[in-house]
Amino acid sequence: MVLSDAPNGASFQVKKVNIEKEIGKRLADMGFTEGAQGAVVRRSFFHGPLQVRILGYDILIRRFEASGIEVEPVGDWSAAEDAHRFLGGQTAKQAKKMAHDAFGGKL
Amino acid sequence: MRNNTIRIALAGNPNSGKTTLFNALTGAHHKVGNYPGVTVEKREGSVIHNGKTFHFIDLPGIYSLTAYSMDEVVARDFILDEKPDLIVDVLDSTNLQRHLYLCLQMQELGIPVIGALNMTDEADENGIRINEKQLSASLGLPFVKITAHKSRGINDLLSQIEETASNSDGHSYRHNRNLLYKVSYGEEIENRLVIIEKLIKEGGASVDNSDSIAEAARWLSVKLLEKDKNAEARLSKLRNFEEIKAAAATAISWIQMHFGKDAEIVISEQRYGYIRGAVKESLSTIPKVDFSLTEKTDKVIMNRFLALPIFVAVLYLIFQLTFTIGAYPQGWLETFFGFLSGVINTYMPESLFRSLLVDGIIAGAGGVLSFVPLIVLLFFFLSILEDIGYMSRASFATDRFLHTFGLHGQSIFPMMLGFGCSVPAIMASRTLKSQRDRILTVLITPMMSCGAKLPIHILFAAAFFPGNAANMVMLIYACGIVISLISALILKKTALKGDPTPFVMELPPYRAPTAQGVLWHVWEKTWHYISRAGTIILASAVLIWIITNFPVYSMQDSETEAVTAAFQKENPNAGDAEIAAHLETLQADAVLEHSVAGTIGHVIEPVFRPLGFNWKMAVATVTGFAAKEIVVSTLGILYRVGMEEDEESESLHEALQNDPSMTPLTGFVFMLFMLLIPPCFAALATIKAELGWKWLGFEFVFLLCTGWISGCVVYQIGKLFAGL
Repeated sequence: MVLSDAPNGASFQVKKVNIEKEIGKRLADMGFTEGAQGAVVRRSFFHGPLQVRILGYDILIRRFEASGIEVEPVGDWSAAEDAHRFLGGQTAKQAKKMAHDAFGGKL
Repeated sequence: MRNNTIRIALAGNPNSGKTTLFNALTGAHHKVGNYPGVTVEKREGSVIHNGKTFHFIDLPGIYSLTAYSMDEVVARDFILDEKPDLIVDVLDSTNLQRHLYLCLQMQELGIPVIGALNMTDEADENGIRINEKQLSASLGLPFVKITAHKSRGINDLLSQIEETASNSDGHSYRHNRNLLYKVSYGEEIENRLVIIEKLIKEGGASVDNSDSIAEAARWLSVKLLEKDKNAEARLSKLRNFEEIKAAAATAISWIQMHFGKDAEIVISEQRYGYIRGAVKESLSTIPKVDFSLTEKTDKVIMNRFLALPIFVAVLYLIFQLTFTIGAYPQGWLETFFGFLSGVINTYMPESLFRSLLVDGIIAGAGGVLSFVPLIVLLFFFLSILEDIGYMSRASFATDRFLHTFGLHGQSIFPMMLGFGCSVPAIMASRTLKSQRDRILTVLITPMMSCGAKLPIHILFAAAFFPGNAANMVMLIYACGIVISLISALILKKTALKGDPTPFVMELPPYRAPTAQGVLWHVWEKTWHYISRAGTIILASAVLIWIITNFPVYSMQDSETEAVTAAFQKENPNAGDAEIAAHLETLQADAVLEHSVAGTIGHVIEPVFRPLGFNWKMAVATVTGFAAKEIVVSTLGILYRVGMEEDEESESLHEALQNDPSMTPLTGFVFMLFMLLIPPCFAALATIKAELGWKWLGFEFVFLLCTGWISGCVVYQIGKLFAGL
């Protein structure tokens, strides 16, 4: 699971930063270190940046960088408010169900 | 300490209130410059405390001491090379963990550090209790509680500086450095750091700057493990550099094997781990962290549907306020300079010197100062927005779109302001933190059609597209936006290649701006403009005066009689005044045509032929560098319709329409060309002040090419469809 997958309001715990060199280091400097907990406060329109709360402050991060941060869900992500519903996509719940159907419950 | 002056570097994260503290400390006694070679602002100021002079240098706001951004390189180079006597690191008490991250890196640099725990009032309100004694004890550096925006705790801080400076006087501190606490990266990493540190000290003993190498040995060792290229370069002169490198490489591979991730990430994690431990004992949070106001406001401001409309509204409001209110003082200044010119014209006999004074120097100084009201107003509003914390929220809304073109969310401010005037717009690019984003934004800002180009558009649109004038002007504006975005895309792939700047920025909670902070900001920007750009603008005004007036030419008496007779024949009822006005226009035309500018116009005319321009348009292009408004009055003179031409004037319309070499196509191409070619000298001087000569040269050539090529393509294609 990567940070850019996290729906609005989802809490997460950082597992690993999978970005090369400087950007990865920068993210680690900003507090994205293993075990750090945070939450997605909001996601902007049309796949714009995410607002993420970590170490008690908020930062904006583009989806590209967020997709390089491996996270583990904390709590139930499917219960979190989802950003996609306004964009004609699916909610996390629906996506999960679809994945479940497709893989026959092996996930 | 040198003599009685203590040099203190002020460091801290962005949004830590560092600049507010700097202002509170130094009051009016500071000056603003740039760090050598870069456009990172450098503020310096002094205060006298108990007979000692404390000289503060405000370092750029940074998150870490990597070589990641220019700000960080500037900060660390300053500390390592200029060696301040001590560092005051400003920390946001409401956000202690992350701010300590920088503070502890500062501590490793081998210079005494004092932690200024800022925003104590806010922390209190939020139920955050910090035991600064406990914190000092566990981290090994003194902490002082302050609230910079209320000027609280400033004296405590000054006393602490005095105390620390006297303890660390001369070498005693430096030799006892090992007694200082420092971050522990865990026993196994520490063992390896000790080896590298020892090697660095050994090798460093034989070089010139052995002191600074020895002092920063610990920091350099850590940086080597973080694979920091700059730190490596610093050590490359050491005789045992290869040995050091080998030791570092061994340590790095050991860490990577042992921890299963990159060494630089491990170092960050260990540092945060250490901070967590230290903070646990000295920080208590009554769970009342109150984001409520920020939260509630953000729900609206950053709402995914409202963010963009709100942003557009804010922008529109700023634009309107700046350029509508600004028009009044601008008008007063114009009246004043007009009055001044009038007085001189009345009381001084006509001479070349009078002309230089009135048309060169006073016009130039007027040109410089007429931008000041706009700059003052614009930066008044922008610094309020920035202090409140709106700037980063605006990027949230716009970044997605602009990022496609290699721009940053905040690039939108300079771009939009460019529709008013390029000078303040280019200066507004300073709100962008990354140098690459800043350069790119500055380079495309002149393509936003500024207010001074509007008269040109109106004149040509009305003359050649009488039924569609407004639509044509709109089209030109749209062309500017589209071409600027395409240019950004091209520049991103060519001249400004390189890794895209990652968008990882802090979103600070809303804070009330302080009057002092805003006023300082406005003053700094205004002074910066007058001192940096003003001189160049004044010089170019004089230059333009010279090339439009030299070599001196006046009509022969016989010529005058001939044209007078011809005029009287055509207009039998003309009075003396009309004849005089006609003669004056002819004289001005003759002067301009025989001047250097006129010659340049004639000489470069062939270059403009593929665009369908005649020599008059070429001359107007040259004079337009003084100010784009002048293009219209130059054409007025050259088409002999009178000196006081403006875009409303019917006769210039007719003269342009009746010129057989002009067609609607050339009219449109001229508008497009004027939109895209390099801006006036004032804007060029501002680009020089912001980016330096190299980028100015690049921009000049780039815009000239863009303008010429676009004009040429449109003209040649248009000609194929003969109907145009």
